[in-house]
Amino acid sequence: MRTSHWIRLAVAAVAAATLVGCGLGDPNGSGGTGAGDASAGGEVKGKVSLQTWALKPKFTAYMEGVIDAFEKKHPGVQVEWLDQPGEGYSEKVLSQAAGGTLPDVVNLPPDFALPLVKQNMLLDVAKADPKRASDYVEGGTAAYRFAGQDGTYGYPWYLNTDVNYWNATLLTRYGLDPKKPPATLDELIAAARTVKEKSDGSVYLMSRKPGLMDFANAGVKLMSDDGKTFTFNTPEAAALLDTYRGAFKDGLLPKDVLTEKYAGNAKLFTSGTVAWTTAGGNYITSLAADNPSLAPQVVSSPAMGTPPLYVQGLSVSGGTKNRATALALARWVTNAENQAAFARLTSIFPSTKASASDAFFSKSDGTNAGDAKVTAFSSLAGARMLEPVQANDAIKTVINQQIALALSGRTSSKEALDTAVTRCNQMLKD
Amino acid sequence: MTHRLTHRRWFTPWLLAGPAVVWLAVFNLWPAVNTVILSFTNAKPLGGGHFTGLDNYERALSDEQLIDALVNSIVYLLVCLPLLTLLPLLLALLVEKKLPGITFFRTAFYTPVVASAVVVALIWGWVLDDRGLVNGVLGQLGLADQPVSFLTDRWLLLFSAIGLTVWKGLGYYMVIYLSALGNVARELHEAAAVDGASAVRRFWHVTLPGVRPAMMLISVLISVSALRVFSELYVLSNGTGGPGGRDMSVVMLIQMYSRGFTGHIGYASALSLLLFMITVGPMLLLARLNRKAA
Repeated sequence: MRTSHWIRLAVAAVAAATLVGCGLGDPNGSGGTGAGDASAGGEVKGKVSLQTWALKPKFTAYMEGVIDAFEKKHPGVQVEWLDQPGEGYSEKVLSQAAGGTLPDVVNLPPDFALPLVKQNMLLDVAKADPKRASDYVEGGTAAYRFAGQDGTYGYPWYLNTDVNYWNATLLTRYGLDPKKPPATLDELIAAARTVKEKSDGSVYLMSRKPGLMDFANAGVKLMSDDGKTFTFNTPEAAALLDTYRGAFKDGLLPKDVLTEKYAGNAKLFTSGTVAWTTAGGNYITSLAADNPSLAPQVVSSPAMGTPPLYVQGLSVSGGTKNRATALALARWVTNAENQAAFARLTSIFPSTKASASDAFFSKSDGTNAGDAKVTAFSSLAGARMLEPVQANDAIKTVINQQIALALSGRTSSKEALDTAVTRCNQMLKD
Repeated sequence: MTHRLTHRRWFTPWLLAGPAVVWLAVFNLWPAVNTVILSFTNAKPLGGGHFTGLDNYERALSDEQLIDALVNSIVYLLVCLPLLTLLPLLLALLVEKKLPGITFFRTAFYTPVVASAVVVALIWGWVLDDRGLVNGVLGQLGLADQPVSFLTDRWLLLFSAIGLTVWKGLGYYMVIYLSALGNVARELHEAAAVDGASAVRRFWHVTLPGVRPAMMLISVLISVSALRVFSELYVLSNGTGGPGGRDMSVVMLIQMYSRGFTGHIGYASALSLLLFMITVGPMLLLARLNRKAA
């Protein structure tokens, strides 16, 4: 009797606990209305909210300066600045969108913006502010145009790209010239083999598995033009994956690359275990904090193939009650002057055309961090968004799983890619 | 006066129970009911929510990742259940004795329980990776030419996670057994000893029946946590679910499908309900077995 009472209690508790947490809010929650037909007309005044992503406390003074200047320029305007922590930002934006509380101006990378655009929650700024296009570089503006959706849904704010970073000490130790680092995949694999042989397998050059960006660089079409299906299961993608399979089989990559996420590559580089990584233009600065003795030994070179373009932008909520002020604020924060000032505080690059001739970005101060910044800036001209914005975290997880399975040799490259495409298309269709 | 007292008797219990009932209804009952409703829709965080009948359940039946996850859960259950039911009992019998310094061992066995599951899994990840402590020792002893793929092979990763669960759970269940052992009448042991029963017979005929209620509770708790495992597999596989995603648990699948702007809440809800039904099964079976044994 006593036991069965315990069991009943446990059953009840588990029943509740299993179901709780799966409980979900109103699926039809909507935050915006009729966003597409905006117009910039109207007086710039009143209250407006601006949401940024993880800028406090490092850039508090900068943002307050930008906002104060805006309020000074437009008397009667009051900007409420919200800054959200780095972790869980997508969930925060999602809850705001579902609850109809999206701030008037909100920092959204393109992959966050697309689902909101599909729900008509963001303003088409191309329609509302047609003159805006001439101020920004095409790559930045293009990031906020989506297949199957008319319009442009954000002001590009700041840009970044990837640069190759090499541990010069390790390269030299194993007979490679840090001044002439590998520039193609074949050269990279050859160099990785040299490092492996000369270090008796104690050091790796390569430590990341291929992904969508590598397929794009190999000329593989990742998605259909309408953005509704993935198409990366091509013979070219399988051939690239086979090349990596061979390298993995030969022990040129650490085994745990199979379960490492992208950051694992940079982590191993920071610990001095691998001799190559890719990262943004400010990597050496952050490396100096994590591993001060390694930072001076690092040299940079341009990314292999087409450099990836990473874009941050400001979008305007379709539900804003102060459209003119919201548009003016988004444009103010992203103007050339404010972006240039921001870029002097950290290694990001302005998305405005006026900044292209700014010597600050194109001339190195002679340090390796300065060289990397210039390498990144000069790469931006040819950079483009290599991964489709439809590839969200869940989709990337599925792709990574299948690539890892192919690398491990438990399935063929073609089969892994076919499975990945089938599963990803199902997820897109949902 | 009598009338007033009667009146009070009528509403007083409701008044006292009211806050708890409201709390349960809002935070337990409604989410549970909502999950059932959503499982028959194509709900997403933004949009969707249309009735789709049994589509989500049909999809689940042909979902290869779900089948892998279920296999993982069943293996987890089959290995964890006997180990975590018996080993903590043996540990409890050991540390129950009043010996000098026994408190140290009780504390040592309980320490993993206090540690965060994620932190412990991270530490195990470092210990088991290619360049970790275990592979280092195996290499030094000449027992392995190549690092053993504890974290990248489907089954080794699963059993590494099981090992972690068992190690972390020992202390917790040991404490439950210690409390149950305290309730086993010492006179019964003494009487059995006087009758000439060996230690093994006393364990079988006195200790085991005495701790049977606790053992059943522990079995249920282990079954539930084994079927709903998440942290160990998630952290050891770095959130990837292992090569091919073959080391995912059902909860990891639910998490994968429900997260983000484009999460498929309808399908994730259907998976939650399936997991719920699967979890209840072993519990009812254990309850039935217990009734029979009683």
